[in-house]
Amino acid sequence: MASSTAIPIRLVPASRGRQFGEGLPSGDLEAPIISNGRLAVLILLAGETMLFAGFIGAFLVYKLSAPFWPPPGLPRLPIEITWANTFVLLASGVTMNLAVRAVRRNRIARLRLLLGITALLGAIFLAVQGSEWIGLIAHGLRLSSGTYGATFYTLIGLHGFHVLCAVVWLMAVFAAALLGRLSAFRRSAVEICAIYWYFVCAVWPVLFYLVYF
Amino acid sequence: MEIASLSELIRRFWLPQGISTYSPRIDFLFTLILCITALVWVLVTVTMIVFMIRYRARPGRTAAYIEGNPRLEVLWTSITAVILIALALLSRSTWADIKEQGPPGEVFYKVTAKQFNWEITYPGPDGKLGTSDDVTVENEFHVPVNKVVRFELTSKDVIHSFFVPWLRLKQDAVPGRHIHVWFEATKEGEYEIPCAELCGFGHSGMDGTLYVQSEADYQRWLKKKYAESR
Amino acid sequence: MSTARAEVPGAGSTGRPQPGFVRRCIFSTDHKTIGKQFLFMALFMMAIGGAMAMLMRWELAFPETPVPLMSWVPEPYMYGGAIPPNTYNSMFTMHATIMIFFVIMPILVGCFGNFLIPLMIGARDMAFPVLNMLSFWVGAIAAVILLASFFVTGGPAAAGWTSYAPLSAVPIYTGVDWGQNLWCISLIVLGISSLMGSINYITTIINMRTRGMTFFRLPLIIWALFITAILLLFALPVLSTALVLLLFDRLAGTHFFLPQGGGEPLLWQHLFWFFGHPEVYIMILPAMGIASEVISTFSRKPIFGYHAMAYAMGAIAFLSWIVWGHHMFQSGMNPALGSGFMITTMIIGVPSAIKVFNWLGTIYKGNIHYTAAMMNALAFVAMFIIGGLSGIFMACTPVDMYIHDTYFIVAHIHYVLFGGSLFAFFAGLIYWFPKMFGRMMNETLAKVHFWITLVAFNCTFFPMHILGMNGHMRRIYNPLQYDFLKPLQPINIFISISAFVLGAAQFILLANIIWSMAKGKRAGANPWRANSLEWTTSSPPVHGNWDGPLPVVHHGPYEYSSPFGEEDYLPQNVETPAKAAVAG
Ligand code: HEA
Ligand code: HEA
Ligand code: CUA
Ligand SMILES: [Cu+2]
Repeated sequence: MASSTAIPIRLVPASRGRQFGEGLPSGDLEAPIISNGRLAVLILLAGETMLFAGFIGAFLVYKLSAPFWPPPGLPRLPIEITWANTFVLLASGVTMNLAVRAVRRNRIARLRLLLGITALLGAIFLAVQGSEWIGLIAHGLRLSSGTYGATFYTLIGLHGFHVLCAVVWLMAVFAAALLGRLSAFRRSAVEICAIYWYFVCAVWPVLFYLVYF
Repeated sequence: MEIASLSELIRRFWLPQGISTYSPRIDFLFTLILCITALVWVLVTVTMIVFMIRYRARPGRTAAYIEGNPRLEVLWTSITAVILIALALLSRSTWADIKEQGPPGEVFYKVTAKQFNWEITYPGPDGKLGTSDDVTVENEFHVPVNKVVRFELTSKDVIHSFFVPWLRLKQDAVPGRHIHVWFEATKEGEYEIPCAELCGFGHSGMDGTLYVQSEADYQRWLKKKYAESR
Repeated sequence: MSTARAEVPGAGSTGRPQPGFVRRCIFSTDHKTIGKQFLFMALFMMAIGGAMAMLMRWELAFPETPVPLMSWVPEPYMYGGAIPPNTYNSMFTMHATIMIFFVIMPILVGCFGNFLIPLMIGARDMAFPVLNMLSFWVGAIAAVILLASFFVTGGPAAAGWTSYAPLSAVPIYTGVDWGQNLWCISLIVLGISSLMGSINYITTIINMRTRGMTFFRLPLIIWALFITAILLLFALPVLSTALVLLLFDRLAGTHFFLPQGGGEPLLWQHLFWFFGHPEVYIMILPAMGIASEVISTFSRKPIFGYHAMAYAMGAIAFLSWIVWGHHMFQSGMNPALGSGFMITTMIIGVPSAIKVFNWLGTIYKGNIHYTAAMMNALAFVAMFIIGGLSGIFMACTPVDMYIHDTYFIVAHIHYVLFGGSLFAFFAGLIYWFPKMFGRMMNETLAKVHFWITLVAFNCTFFPMHILGMNGHMRRIYNPLQYDFLKPLQPINIFISISAFVLGAAQFILLANIIWSMAKGKRAGANPWRANSLEWTTSSPPVHGNWDGPLPVVHHGPYEYSSPFGEEDYLPQNVETPAKAAVAG
């Protein structure tokens, strides 16, 4: 076969120099409907959903096939305090949403405040969960206490780990806000973090219902 | 190579002799699928080779510009679908008869797998399993010929798989589960019971023997074993 | 090209300074370099996985006799070169794990995915180049962890690549301790790597297509990689779930898969195969994409039924979620479920049939050029059919009762994975080698490699069907322990000899790669006179892929022998001459 092109290659000049990725000019792209960052976090959440689905599926297999659930002799889970904690987490979802609105209107002081509150609520949620765990361990609910203990710690722990990641991420955004690096033009950092935060908040009620009742 | 072993080898190009009541049904499905797939394979491969030769590049040739043909597409899609779904429906009843219902049992046993042996539990003189006169023997599974054998299969440690090639029977033994299995052997003889599921370093070589015996021989053996075990 | 650059000063990447060696070759964020890194990692791992296979074949042909040249291996791995049972178990476990997770996936998804996606959709790079680089390095760490398990006490994992619990869940059952833990950790890490990869692929394909590149103008390989990325995204987290639970069982005293503590051994199998079946299509869809590109190009004909091809891949992907139970027919799962899975499994043959018939339609009335790439692609079709058809035997539940866990399955595995995925890899490598390295691969060597591989491959794996029909179990290290397998030993010896030839033939490939990278014939921009966008830039493409602005797409990628073209091909960025004339 011939070793080079016979047909001349026609190129059109670059019109708009939109920035992507490393900042290489990508010339002639139409603006996408949804930005790369948002799309990426949505895709990430699809994967996360499957991860939770796997854990929840396993949990349900044990729960539905066990003759007694919770098995006799093991401590009950503290429902009241967890109700309160649920509201804390859901409230953090609301403050997160307010923060997103604030950054869209370029109200930076308000943004800082709201991000701070959200991170604090997330941290409170984690702290309460932690103290609950300490209590449960003291009362003899261990990872090795049959599938009841095992699924409780892995499933709730998986969620807790996600909240922890979300809090760390949020702290980074918060720090950027404090340093004045966020504005209405760079709001996607807040919005993308918010999508992840909503996910973490939305998963919790499902777990709360399945595990605690 | 010796002539005898060569002819033996050639005989091995087909399934081994079937000795259970359901082995002909499985062999039938195997043969049917073999015919269908062989036909499909010949058709596709021959067409491919013919095209490859006829349409090889030659100076001055140009390819035809064909982007597709929706009618052909529908045709071959539906033909394949019909064949495959028919095959599935045809296989269903065989499967249901072997693994779902099956005939009522005439003799009963318990088979427990463990690393790396089969434990066969026989009912003692009272004819009932789970009583104190049960006899447990390792790796020797004696059954009467032409009787519906039913046994409960389980495992003490990891998953094993109860496999008797001539019965065409395979069933995993899962710890924590008691799986009911049946077969009816139609030919006397000794047959190996390999373990077909990886179960550790002794998996290779985990091997029992199935003795299909006449009713009289079977009873004699069972009595002897019972006497020995007391 | 050069004129275009003059018109738009600084628009191309050539305006940027060339990064230094470390940034360019090791911690590169350039998708092309990352693609090559995946390729080399996979070739390295292939040599290890292949070496395991060779040792296994020696053991099966000449059981318990010392392997030549291996007497240096210390006990308890080998005894003066003789392979003990547990080492054999480790070998097929690592063979399969390496081949599947560190050869086929890195090559088809990591290498071709990275190299081709931006070039074929007309983008300068992936959407997230740094994430892309991380994805490779995380994958490399996973490989290192897996290889490290060869050196821990107890040896590497020995519970099969499927690692069925409870065997894998309790160290004393296999005698393997940290080997199995590292196996789990390695695959969890690999899961993270491939999650990053799929985020990148999906975002890039959705958002970064150049002007005019609509979804239905994408080359089929891009469709395949897109669907594969979605499968990866949904499948691997489920594997991670299973692996985490298994690790807890091993390390934290839980009883997820141990019946003693209320656990459920079959849950492992459900989780594993819910991942595992989509996984096998992850390994075949990109191969199908490669075959479509190569066959269309060298037949000088449009792909037959482009839309049907794309939809068929979608259908395969969808169906792959509801067939996992066909690996568990004999596992003690409710037999009624088995019937359901049998029907879905049969149905998944239909979209595969569409693909096969459309490839035949593509060569029909073509003008077929027998390059080495084309020969490998045609062999892919021929071999995949055999593997696919043997799948139908196993899909039939009563027949599977007999052939499950026998060499019939081993034959199936290798016909679809070697005959399928690897032949497609050979085809793709020869086809895109000029784009990757700027030089052509040596055709003669490639053809010698092809013919030896094709013949040796069939001699190795076809007789395994006969072993399987005789009930020869898989995963046994010494067939002579069974009276009924003794007469089959000549077949085993024949298989092993063919396998050694097959393994040796791969050195030809290795030699060809190394020689061609250094000394191969220089390639022009478009040596195969192909249509898709990667051929519109130099070989190898510059950093940023196109000097000057990005190409604009006017039609689909398969306009070969179009009545509108003056030549027998029409690159995607060239307007159809007739249309251009009308537009005036
Ligand atoms: C690339 C990998 C790949 C691919 C593509 C496939 C494709 C298929 N596989 Fe395979 N499979 C594996 C890799 C793969 N498999 C592996 C690795 C295992 C073993 C795992 C282990 O236990 O270690 C396995 C195991 C496996 C089993 C379990 C067996 C057992 O353990 O008992 C089954 C059972 O149904 C099965 C079925 C199928 C079917 C029906 C297809 C279908 O998709 C095939 C469809 C294709 C065709 C049918 C051919 C083309 C069609 C035509 C030419 C049309 C005409 C056809 C007819 C009318 C019949 N496979
Ligand atoms: C992609 C997947 C893949 C590939 C390519 C192969 C390739 C081969 N496999 Fe493998 N195999 C599997 C996937 C694969 N296998 C799986 C999933 C199993 C099931 C495991 C289980 O039961 O858990 C299996 C099991 C399996 C068994 C059954 C073991 C048992 O059950 O006891 C056997 C036995 O013969 C075997 C043999 C071979 C042989 C001879 C090759 C040959 O084709 C190998 C040829 C050699 C090479 C391809 C490499 C040599 C190359 C070089 C030395 C030079 C190149 C180097 C560079 C370029 C750097 N394999
Ligand atoms: Cu018991 Cu294998
Ligand atoms: Cu499958």
